[in-house]
Amino acid sequence: MSDLDKAIAQLRACRPIPEIQVRELCYKARELLMEEGNVVSVDAPVTICGDIHGQFHDLMELFRVGGDVPDTNYLFMGDFVDRGFYSLESFLLLLCLKVRYPDRITLIRGNHESRQITTVYGFYDECMRKYGSANVWRYCCEVFDYLALGALVMGAATELQPSEAAFADANSQATMPSDTEDIEIEILNAAGQVLSRFPRNRNQQKPPQQDTSQLSDPPNSPAQDQTPARNGAPGTGATSSSKGSTPNSGGAVLCVHGGLSPLIDSIDKIRLLDRKQEVPHEGAMCDLLWSDPDEIDGWGLSPRGAGFLFGADIVKCFNHKNDLSLICRAHQLVMEGFKEMFDSTIVTVWSAPNYCYRCGNVAAILELGEDGSNAGYAPRSNGEVGRSHGGVLAERGAMEQRAGPGRRYRVFDAAPQDGRGMPAKKPVADYFL
Amino acid sequence: MASIPNLNSLRTGRRGPRLRGGRGGRAIPENDDSSHVEAAEAGRDKVIQQTDNDASSSRLSAVALGYLDDPYAPVFAAQGEQVVRRYPIINRGTYVRTTAIDNLVKRFLQHDPNQRKQIVSLGAGSDTRFWRLWTDAASASFAEVEYHELDFEANVNQKRASTRQSLFISDMTQKAEKGGWRYHLHALDLRNLTNKSPPPIPNLDPELPTLILSECCLCYLPPDTATSVLQYFTMNLKGLLGLALYEPIRPLDAFGKTMVSNLASRGIHLQTLQRYGTLEAQRQRLRLAGFNDGQGVRDVSQMYASETWVSRAERVRVERLEWLDEVEEWQLLASHYCVAWGWRGQGFGEAWQGLEGSRTSSEDRDDGLG
Repeated sequence: MSDLDKAIAQLRACRPIPEIQVRELCYKARELLMEEGNVVSVDAPVTICGDIHGQFHDLMELFRVGGDVPDTNYLFMGDFVDRGFYSLESFLLLLCLKVRYPDRITLIRGNHESRQITTVYGFYDECMRKYGSANVWRYCCEVFDYLALGALVMGAATELQPSEAAFADANSQATMPSDTEDIEIEILNAAGQVLSRFPRNRNQQKPPQQDTSQLSDPPNSPAQDQTPARNGAPGTGATSSSKGSTPNSGGAVLCVHGGLSPLIDSIDKIRLLDRKQEVPHEGAMCDLLWSDPDEIDGWGLSPRGAGFLFGADIVKCFNHKNDLSLICRAHQLVMEGFKEMFDSTIVTVWSAPNYCYRCGNVAAILELGEDGSNAGYAPRSNGEVGRSHGGVLAERGAMEQRAGPGRRYRVFDAAPQDGRGMPAKKPVADYFL
Repeated sequence: MASIPNLNSLRTGRRGPRLRGGRGGRAIPENDDSSHVEAAEAGRDKVIQQTDNDASSSRLSAVALGYLDDPYAPVFAAQGEQVVRRYPIINRGTYVRTTAIDNLVKRFLQHDPNQRKQIVSLGAGSDTRFWRLWTDAASASFAEVEYHELDFEANVNQKRASTRQSLFISDMTQKAEKGGWRYHLHALDLRNLTNKSPPPIPNLDPELPTLILSECCLCYLPPDTATSVLQYFTMNLKGLLGLALYEPIRPLDAFGKTMVSNLASRGIHLQTLQRYGTLEAQRQRLRLAGFNDGQGVRDVSQMYASETWVSRAERVRVERLEWLDEVEEWQLLASHYCVAWGWRGQGFGEAWQGLEGSRTSSEDRDDGLG
């Protein structure tokens, strides 16, 4: 067993590795990440994950639900650290897996992978507590500076092969599309049972959030409804405008932690950024990690104090110009684990169940299947520059929407309480007393 | 910030039936020998003591970061306590709660300023409002005040020691007294107010216009006891009477359920939460409790977004203090706390005019959840 495999085993048991090993790991990881472009190309099939936030036991649950590395190809969209009790173990495990299986796991940067934010939201304190010095925090921050800003998933199939799993609720089967129809969205629970399916060409599709209620709490709770109105209706509105007759010609899927930037109108412009630095307070790099979609026209100010809000018109225009079928992002807590917006041109994926051990939400991961004809189309690492020329686009109708990839969401709850060994010293002031 | 009424300490040595039904299943074996019971109760006392420290240290954090201006907060911090920086959403919540209650109190004191007023703060803990108000009294033309704080003996002893040890506080208290502001600290178990012959509250004037404050206090009592405590005041005070509450709400959605179980695991039981779980239930409660000339409620999320409670300039100032990344979490947390106010008598209606607190369409969502 190599040292790396030993470290992986130790971290999987949620035990930190010695400082000297962290230094070595971070050095290797940096060497690897340095070679990646700002926008990494990833081939489908891939499983896309949102925020983790140091919830180590829930990360283990994610691997149980989604499959282990390297059997499953993963893309994590940042925010590995802060808030949870085990940022260190979570991030170092992901980093070990990256070094061990560089072609089977992709890590991109979230707004919490930053020196400034980690000193406010817990990762710095955790490192000090576990090592007695800031060295490990410093090594990790140096790795953060080299994480890619985005990823481009190529070769995702528009057709979803229906899973052969049983339906969670036998009665719901009758109302779902038959296996012969073209499935656009399938939602599974943690046991791999089908909660619901949505075909591509039916107009009367219902938002799948109705069905996630079987998993945990009623979705129409005031809490979720009181998330800002700008979030629009939760769940998805599967597109009815997509071209069901042209399967497997989906555009690429852009994955980024936050969203778009008014300074970025093409993916090539992301590639030109100098990313190897602390996340700036403003500018394109900051926006990619901080922005949120919202029910507005154009751009708006973000309540977060960094990044922007952007509306459906911005997303549709960006997707059209860059030949994208979908933007996949994380960054915002969604009670149902995922939320599609703007005619399914953008989706939020959230992978930290019962966030902060307090929010009561479920988590989700998104699986994109492989389009056989397109396999191996683009190499990993530095995606080729110059994808978005406009020649091909000019032939398509103005702002015509690409058929989105088939999407399989796996929704899961927090890992069982007894297995997680909560630390004796719980954080205080979780609530107002 | 309210401390939590220490109900457990009252049970020491008591035989007979225990309050098991409403205590969330934290059953105590009946045959335990008394030393075990005492040890368990001492342990629970400590938990409750620590949550009291939570409240004061949350205030310290908000003050240190500039959310609140409160030079008196450090005086009541636990001995040797460092300022621990709280998460931005906690700081913002502490800010909204404090300024919202302040707003209700200040309007009360400014209305008819020649009329002497009375404030009764239930479970006041280490609250600094008396001194903060006094500091503003001259410039804000507040009426003179009889200010009563009620809390359990242990908490009162601690506060009395702090007020005596601090020259700053004792000096301010004396100055306030010369200005007609009198501060009264009462060691009193609120539940005893529901007895057939309740203990007297010295210097409580039954004729003065009175505002009762309960910041996270009544919610820890059994619902019927909480009602009886309010009844004590509505029956014994004859004049204008107002009530301002700050309490958790919405226990039935995913966040609410998690809140209830997380706090229960710390030994904290929000006993009135199920009964008064919505904004409408809080209005109804105030009406039935005798504050029947008007009632208003807003959740903290609504208050933060409302110009009436947090001016645009203040919101801009607050949002510059810290990056608040957790926007969705703020919405969740803030929608699970409310400020409710109700009154008896025209004077309060005038003092609180313009504070919109009637039902909004956004509350329709609560209906399905009871």
